[in-house]
Amino acid sequence: MLQTLSLFLGIWLLFLLLAIYYLSQAPDGRVGRFRESVSEHLSAESRAKVLLRELLSENQYQQLIKFGYLEVNSPTIDSRIYRIPGSGGLVKVYERGCAVMELCLQPAEPLPDGDVVVMHKLMIEANEEEYLQKANHFAPGIISLRCQHL
Amino acid sequence: MGMLRIMSRRGDERVVWDSEKVESNDPETVAAIREAERIFNQERARGSTAFKVESGKPVERIEQFDRTAEQIVMVPRVVGG
Repeated sequence: MLQTLSLFLGIWLLFLLLAIYYLSQAPDGRVGRFRESVSEHLSAESRAKVLLRELLSENQYQQLIKFGYLEVNSPTIDSRIYRIPGSGGLVKVYERGCAVMELCLQPAEPLPDGDVVVMHKLMIEANEEEYLQKANHFAPGIISLRCQHL
Repeated sequence: MGMLRIMSRRGDERVVWDSEKVESNDPETVAAIREAERIFNQERARGSTAFKVESGKPVERIEQFDRTAEQIVMVPRVVGG
C-alpha cells in the first residue's frame, strides 16, 4: 500500500517538474509573466498599506487591523456610522447602533483592498450626498459578499 | 512637500514637488507641478474624483488642481455595484 502511494507521489512529482520545466522554456514566458504579476500585486498591496497608514489615524488603523473594518462617522447625519470592510464587500450603515442599510459602490477599475477603504472614507467625508447617490442601496443583511469581517 | 497620488491597480502612483520652491520658480519644481497638473486634468477627464487632504483639516473635494495642497488623492471613477 505504502509502495503504491510512494509510486503515485513520485509520478505526480515528476509531472509537476516536467510542467515547471515546460513553462520555463515556453517562448512566451508564461512563468515570467506569472512571477511579474504576483510581484506587481504584492507591490500594489504594500503601497496601499502605506497609503492607509498615512491617511488613517492610529486608532482607525488599529480598528481596521483588529476588527477588519473601518468606521467613519457621517459628516451630516448625527449618530450615523459607515462601516467599511477592509477586504471588499458592502458598506454597512448604522444609526444609533442599528443596521439601516448596506451600500455597494466600487471603483470602475480594480484597486488594492486598502485603496478601496481609503476611497470610501474620502468620498463619505468629502461628499456624502454624492456617495449615497452613486451607491446601490440594499436592506441590511440581504446581500453579503466577501463579508467575513462584518 | 506637495504630492499628487493617483490610485490605480498598481497601488497609488505619486508626483511630488517642493512647495517651498513654488514661488522661486525652481525649474525642477515647476516641471513637477506641470506634470502633476497634466495628470490631474487627464484623470479628471477620465471621471476620477480628486480630494485635497491636509493634516488637521476636513477632506475637501476639488475640481481644479491646487499646487498649494499638501496632498491630492485621485480616486478612479466609481459605479454602484
